[in-house]
Amino acid sequence: MVRINDFLKKKQFVIFFILAVLIILAAVFAPVITQGVDPLEGSMDDALQAPCKAHIFGTDKMGRDIFTRVIYGARASLISTFGVVLLIFLIGTAVGIIAGCFGGIVDAALMRVADMMVAFPGLVLALAVAGIIGSSMKNAIIAITIVSWTKYARLARSLVLKIKDRDYVSAAIVSGARTSHIIRSYMLPNALPILIITAATDVGSMMLELAALSFLGFGAKPPTPEWGYMLNEGRGLIQSAPWMMIFPGLAIFLVVVVFNMLGDSLRDIMDPRDE
Amino acid sequence: MKHSKKYLVMGIAAVLSLSLFSGCSSFADSENTGDEQADTAGEEVLNFGCQMYDDGSLNFALAPSSAWNAMRYGITESLFKFNDDMSTEPWLAKSYTVNDEHTEWVITLRDDICFSDGCPVTPSKVKECFEYLKEVSEGSSANAEKYLEFEAEITADDEANTLTIVTSKPYNDLPGQLAYPVMAVVDIEHTEDFMNNVIGTGPYMVNQFNGVGVGYEMAANPNYYEEVPYDKVNILFMGDASAKTMALQSGQVDLVENITNVADIQDFQENSDFTVDIATGVRCGFSWMNLEGVLSNEALRQAMIMAIDKEGICESTTIGGLYTAGISVLPSNLDYGYDELNDPYPYDPEGAKKVLDDAGIVDTDGDGIRELDGQNINLRYVSYENRLLNDFSDAHTQYLAEIGIGVTAEYGSSDDQWSKLAAGDYDLNNNNWITVGNGDPLEYLGNWYSKTTYCGYSNPEYDKLYESLQNELDPEKRKELVKEMQQIIIDDALVLVDGYYNSSMVYSNKSVGYAHIHTADYYWLTTEIVPAE
Repeated sequence: MVRINDFLKKKQFVIFFILAVLIILAAVFAPVITQGVDPLEGSMDDALQAPCKAHIFGTDKMGRDIFTRVIYGARASLISTFGVVLLIFLIGTAVGIIAGCFGGIVDAALMRVADMMVAFPGLVLALAVAGIIGSSMKNAIIAITIVSWTKYARLARSLVLKIKDRDYVSAAIVSGARTSHIIRSYMLPNALPILIITAATDVGSMMLELAALSFLGFGAKPPTPEWGYMLNEGRGLIQSAPWMMIFPGLAIFLVVVVFNMLGDSLRDIMDPRDE
Repeated sequence: MKHSKKYLVMGIAAVLSLSLFSGCSSFADSENTGDEQADTAGEEVLNFGCQMYDDGSLNFALAPSSAWNAMRYGITESLFKFNDDMSTEPWLAKSYTVNDEHTEWVITLRDDICFSDGCPVTPSKVKECFEYLKEVSEGSSANAEKYLEFEAEITADDEANTLTIVTSKPYNDLPGQLAYPVMAVVDIEHTEDFMNNVIGTGPYMVNQFNGVGVGYEMAANPNYYEEVPYDKVNILFMGDASAKTMALQSGQVDLVENITNVADIQDFQENSDFTVDIATGVRCGFSWMNLEGVLSNEALRQAMIMAIDKEGICESTTIGGLYTAGISVLPSNLDYGYDELNDPYPYDPEGAKKVLDDAGIVDTDGDGIRELDGQNINLRYVSYENRLLNDFSDAHTQYLAEIGIGVTAEYGSSDDQWSKLAAGDYDLNNNNWITVGNGDPLEYLGNWYSKTTYCGYSNPEYDKLYESLQNELDPEKRKELVKEMQQIIIDDALVLVDGYYNSSMVYSNKSVGYAHIHTADYYWLTTEIVPAE
């Protein structure tokens, strides 16, 4: 109860949490919002229409309604973004905790792999990976996961190392607790808040990276409504049909801002260093 | 101390402001570079924005696109050239004679032609060039044997100024073969840099290659046989249609080729400061159907053709004007009996559904996709970003979805498209071909000849007609054969025809007085592009 009140005190968190929920609801109830219009269906007779009553965001080169595609685009963007964040969170945390707990050669080996991954600029490496394994949304998620898990691994490892020598951990070891129990009961609960905050603040940047890959042709394939790919479709017509870029661009901007602000406010609430 | 800090900050601010102004003024300078050059030095300068092919290479003996580059940039010319109806006329040649068997060709050269280095073009120099092609192009994609057999006996008579070519097999139209850019006449002896500075006879010559993705600095050929309109031409490589549009609007370039955004072209057409020149081309955009996969089913292919509104796509705002719709693989403007062709599969989506239903290709699981042999039909559509091909592929996908045929896009580079086509690794493969590259459709129609096809098609009737065409010399009979072959391709539902591509050039009226765009894709920079008065 006390915690809920704490949350309510944080106006910023509440506002952006509501906005984030609205975005997720928009994605879930896309067919209702778009009144059953199919995002893949269009008519060449209606191609490249400027925003009007019938198509409030205009139409694209295939005569598809951009409003519908933007709303449905939230599905692809949110699912893939949350997928990436979840994957890198799980993989990175697991690797970091194992490296921190076991130390020695396990730590050295895992951390050197992580060092190798951070030696390259993230997006460039992701482009290379996506280029090798082929372009699709699934492969874009794999590519970004491959280059982004290291952050969590390093963070989890440093948190574990910080806790490892605490008296209560030593006491647990002396009392014969198993490693899995120590990880579950001591390491994870201590490392988790900071890792969750990091994951929350990463949603925006991961969304941008996925959109960037799709924009460059390494992510979503046509005719999938995905914001990054929609930007790419509109790129060639930026002068004559700017609405093709404006609305997907705005969607990316708004969602990234909302999730970044949500992550920031979550950090304000949960960061144990503030206590 | 406090004051000195203040002065330091003010100083830095002043330096930054000055840098900003100087930056702006240099930007303004760069915007007016063309005009200033023309005014101050009294030189006519043309800034030409165009697509870069094959890294801008001019090595005509190694790749056709490099040979095209050399001819498109006005560097090389050949013995013959194509008119806008794709007939040939002498260019560096003055005239020719041929024996009744079409095996001995005596070509008389013009006597006023020099290479840009001043060296006269003699029959021996032409022979030297053809010998070089024989030596270097073998095994490369340019392979000159496609245009003139390597067994041909070439005799140069410099005194009579004639070149005699004796071939082991009859050539229906050797001038057309020799007009192809690979057969351009180059000063082999004096050319040192075949990649970026070949010495030809065209109106312009290379001053400097500015790098891959950047362009060329060209100068007028001082030894050209006519007056060259521009003293300098800057070729600026621009891959993106929007980049070309914006460069032309901002004055960075005076002339661009092939803007593919229809809306941009319409804007230019409505603006009196610019002129849009569109030429009916001889290119055909079409999607191959791979008969070695699910598309071996003829009913499926027929239904697919019936499901697509070719006219609707070509007349849409997305494509409008840049393609002319058609049913055959040969453009309707060529004289090969297009009007007499019969279309058994006109646009009829309901009819298409019926064809599929009758063939037992139905959607049994209710997922919206029909099944063939118990599997959902999901066609792999290979395409690439060139001449609106991806837009056609997207439109086809949309129409096919309406009759319950699934398509997965595989859009990549032109290299991807080509390698997948050559390997037969596709269901649909969209590309844009020049149909009468050497004035005759024989080579192009070989695409459906069983020995040279990329789609697994084999039809003895078509093969027989193709083999007859290879040996037929009578123009009327050739036309009849070509017409029959077109009809077989249509009847057997072998291709999804996008349409016939119309080339375009857009120029600023302030700097260009007139620019003629040719039907043949090989001629961009010619003496028919002249400065505004």
